[in-house]
Amino acid sequence: MRLPDELDTLREAAPAGFAARVLDRVGVPAHRYDCYVRADSPVGPLYVAHGRGAVTGAAATDWYADDRAFEDAYRARTRRSALSGVKPPPGLARALRGRDRTLRYEFGPLADEQRAVLLATRAVPFGQLRPAAWLAREAGLPGLAPETVLAAVRANPVPVLVPAHRLCTDDGLPADCGLPPDFERRLREWEGVDAERVERFVRAGARFLGSGTTRIFCYPTCAHARRITARHEVPFTSADEASAAGFRGCLSCRPAVV
Amino acid sequence: MDETPLPLTELLATDLDDGFTELVRTQAGTVRSVLLRLSGSARDADDLGQETFLRAYSALRDYSPERRGQLQPRAWLLTIAANVWRNHVRTLSRRPGVADGIEVTAIELPDGSPGPEQLALDGARRARLVAALSGLPDHHRLPVVLRHIGELSYQEVAGILDCPVGTVKAQVSRGLAALRAEPGLAADRGTHGAAGAAGAAGAKTATARTAHEAARTERKEATG
Repeated sequence: MRLPDELDTLREAAPAGFAARVLDRVGVPAHRYDCYVRADSPVGPLYVAHGRGAVTGAAATDWYADDRAFEDAYRARTRRSALSGVKPPPGLARALRGRDRTLRYEFGPLADEQRAVLLATRAVPFGQLRPAAWLAREAGLPGLAPETVLAAVRANPVPVLVPAHRLCTDDGLPADCGLPPDFERRLREWEGVDAERVERFVRAGARFLGSGTTRIFCYPTCAHARRITARHEVPFTSADEASAAGFRGCLSCRPAVV
Repeated sequence: MDETPLPLTELLATDLDDGFTELVRTQAGTVRSVLLRLSGSARDADDLGQETFLRAYSALRDYSPERRGQLQPRAWLLTIAANVWRNHVRTLSRRPGVADGIEVTAIELPDGSPGPEQLALDGARRARLVAALSGLPDHHRLPVVLRHIGELSYQEVAGILDCPVGTVKAQVSRGLAALRAEPGLAADRGTHGAAGAAGAAGAKTATARTAHEAARTERKEATG
């Protein structure tokens, strides 16, 4: 290695928080830029960007060559600068453990309907799956085409935290939500989605699962559906079929307009 | 020459705060690295870096949008940084009671994720290089650091140091020769042993050389 190249390696990134301190001292107001931190998550280290009291972006660190590449991509998407900061937004650690109660989100330049779909995605409980039609209905846009819902979910700028990986296709298989397949699979595994059980219902054509004792039907991944013992499982291919059989929709997972 | 994309200067011209934020984001690492290698202490590098950007901002506020649009951001910032550092050195020499910067660099903790090129240079060797660099006399260290860590052209360095380009080339090549001659660095420079020895010999006879010749050696080494 030649000496000038060795000297090159002495050029290093400024320590986290340095840039923000400079701007603070100069008097550039904090709402003019965003900060990002590296946070450990169950699926590996993430960049999490935040500003003006909301989380504005997330990405796995290994999707980018280095911090600069992430900053540049962030700037291209949001037209705002992201500086490496030291303090994570309050509530981030808990949200990464799957208990997202307090975080606010700012999705940057997205269409209103996409924003509505992404906010609806947050209502899918930990470890469960919902089809596009359900998301559209929860977003208050029941007429939205499934392709539009899928596009909105794939444009999710805050993967992991906004759980786009909890989207499934109409027949119940986990959908491709635009993240690397392996990454999605690890997320679902960590959340305890039982892939084998999901596939069993899909093969049987059962989109809904009723309980013979309570006469209530759910999505198969609903927490209540997972408690139904095998001999009381009553599978249905559609909500209408379940209603005709005298079953009502579950109030937690809302498989039909209740 | 700056490889900074054009939008940065345009941003500075249209929206000072946003442009300055981008300027800090893209250049903070270089400015701080240069100051770190000049001062040899992380704490000083932080303070002087803050000072540099503070001056840069107040200067930009008084510039016309046209002038902001014509800046060469990196060269301009490093000019300010070099001045800030020289002022700092002068202040220290006026107040001999003040302790010099503690050698924090010797026990620098490696950052969380060293890039591939940083891995190529193992920690011990890096530490020796850092020590050798901070051992150089100021009139060699400043041009070497500006040229190789600040990535400025010889013309830009000459502009900062206010001396002819040939002088800068000579200073840089003598500085590099002195680094090569460092026993700690020459020791494990297997294939470069010959080059190191030649460099050391060059350093000894440098006084007898013209700047022109030194510059030619530098060019030869740069292509080698």
